[in-house]
Amino acid sequence: MGERDYMDLLELQLLIKEGVANAFPGKFWVKAEISSWSPRANGHCYLSLSQSRGGKPIAESRAMIWNWQYPRVKQTFEQATGQPLQAGITVLVRVQVNFSELYGISLFIDDIDPAFTLGEKALERKRAIERLTAAGYMEMQKELALPDVPYRLAVITSKTAAGYQDFRNHLLHNPEGYAFHLDLLEALMQGEQAPASIREALLEAGQQPYDAILILRGGGSELDLACFDDYDLAVAIATCPVPVVTAIGHDKDVHIADMVAHTSVKTPTALADLFLQAYQAQDAILDRSRGRIGMASTRLVNREELRLKTLDARVQQAVQRRIGDMDRQINAVQARIRLALTKKLSAQENSLLRASGRISRGLSGKYNQVARQRDTVVHRLQFAAAARIGQEVSNLALREARIKATDPRNILALGYVLVTGKDHQVLKTVDKVAVGDRIGVRFTDGSLTAKVDEIYSEKIDNKKVNIA
Amino acid sequence: MNEKFDYAKAIAELEAIAAKVENPETKLDDIDTLVGRSKELLKQCREYLRTVKEKIDSLDKE
Repeated sequence: MGERDYMDLLELQLLIKEGVANAFPGKFWVKAEISSWSPRANGHCYLSLSQSRGGKPIAESRAMIWNWQYPRVKQTFEQATGQPLQAGITVLVRVQVNFSELYGISLFIDDIDPAFTLGEKALERKRAIERLTAAGYMEMQKELALPDVPYRLAVITSKTAAGYQDFRNHLLHNPEGYAFHLDLLEALMQGEQAPASIREALLEAGQQPYDAILILRGGGSELDLACFDDYDLAVAIATCPVPVVTAIGHDKDVHIADMVAHTSVKTPTALADLFLQAYQAQDAILDRSRGRIGMASTRLVNREELRLKTLDARVQQAVQRRIGDMDRQINAVQARIRLALTKKLSAQENSLLRASGRISRGLSGKYNQVARQRDTVVHRLQFAAAARIGQEVSNLALREARIKATDPRNILALGYVLVTGKDHQVLKTVDKVAVGDRIGVRFTDGSLTAKVDEIYSEKIDNKKVNIA
Repeated sequence: MNEKFDYAKAIAELEAIAAKVENPETKLDDIDTLVGRSKELLKQCREYLRTVKEKIDSLDKE
């Protein structure tokens, strides 16, 4: 074996480098997908560009952006597209093919065309929308009915999202005091993993009896919205059996997630308002019903009151009429009785009159008879009386004669005196007289008084009576 | 008042009473009883309507 002609690696690499430099003297615009992305601490950004077909990579190359270019490239792209520069997006990059004897081939990127990515994005979006529409996914959520009073709510968001607290406060501290049951289902809301993470949460929530599932992005970079145009996420939202409400919060355009959702709003506050308004609407309906029920019932009650009044009046009137009838009947009966009585009375009176006539006639006959009888008696009495009087008169004459015969004055005239004591009593004995008594002595023509000086009793002693 | 007060029945009875009282054939002795019963029924009906009214009013106070 003879001596081989060879060169060392460096020589080779330098040859290649020269060849490459000659073959790719300028810069090229290349369309590729960013398959990996890693900014370094030194400011350079290393990435992989690739191309796939049928889900399999068919080309791949290392690439990098120098640190003096990276900030400008990144900013220009992100501002124009509203999308972060990251793995998974297809870009049109301007590259300089470079071969390094130490690192091999690398593409130096110094510009990325945002217009291309926008177009790509729009195209991709358009295709996704077309597929979703064709499969009927766009209308599926619209056919679900959000309950009149949605109470059990599942919120898919990241716990740290500022928007979630806004939503919570606004919903739960409502002035009307409406109550809600709120469950938080955490998910990644940005980056490559977001669609899968949100799908998982949706799947879980969809199995629970929620009234609505809320997808709330609630803050974070405005550049992280690409995930909400994800086809698979859109399908997951569309096929969720519970109404899904999105609040992804981007004014510039509407995301596919918003399109397939039952309802979409822009901000966390608007999301809370959606549910509060549902309650307010029900309140208004209740108020109206209450008003109608009240009015109708009042009308009914008034009608019934009138009916009762009418019935009452009917009964009262009928009773009054009956009482009037009875009054008249009673009056008629009374009148008849009075008439009959009057008749009876006058008949009685007549018969009384007749009777009294007869009586008086009978009486006068009787009277005459009695009078005659009386006259006879009177005559007899008169006779008897006259006889009696005559007898009495003769009796009187006899007595007078006797009295005259015993009159003391006749005796006194004969010379006798009548002595009287203290009491003007006629003294018939001396027994009743004491010495010193005054005595009266009566004569026929006068009298005198004397004092007893001495008494002579013929029975007891011999004392004499001295008449002073 | 009875919980199961039947307003319609009471009204029907009142109607019947009114018709009876209006009928000249009805005896006065019966009318006294009928009027007494009608008073009772009217009282019950009015009381019932009053409770209904109160319930209607309370609708606004919820």
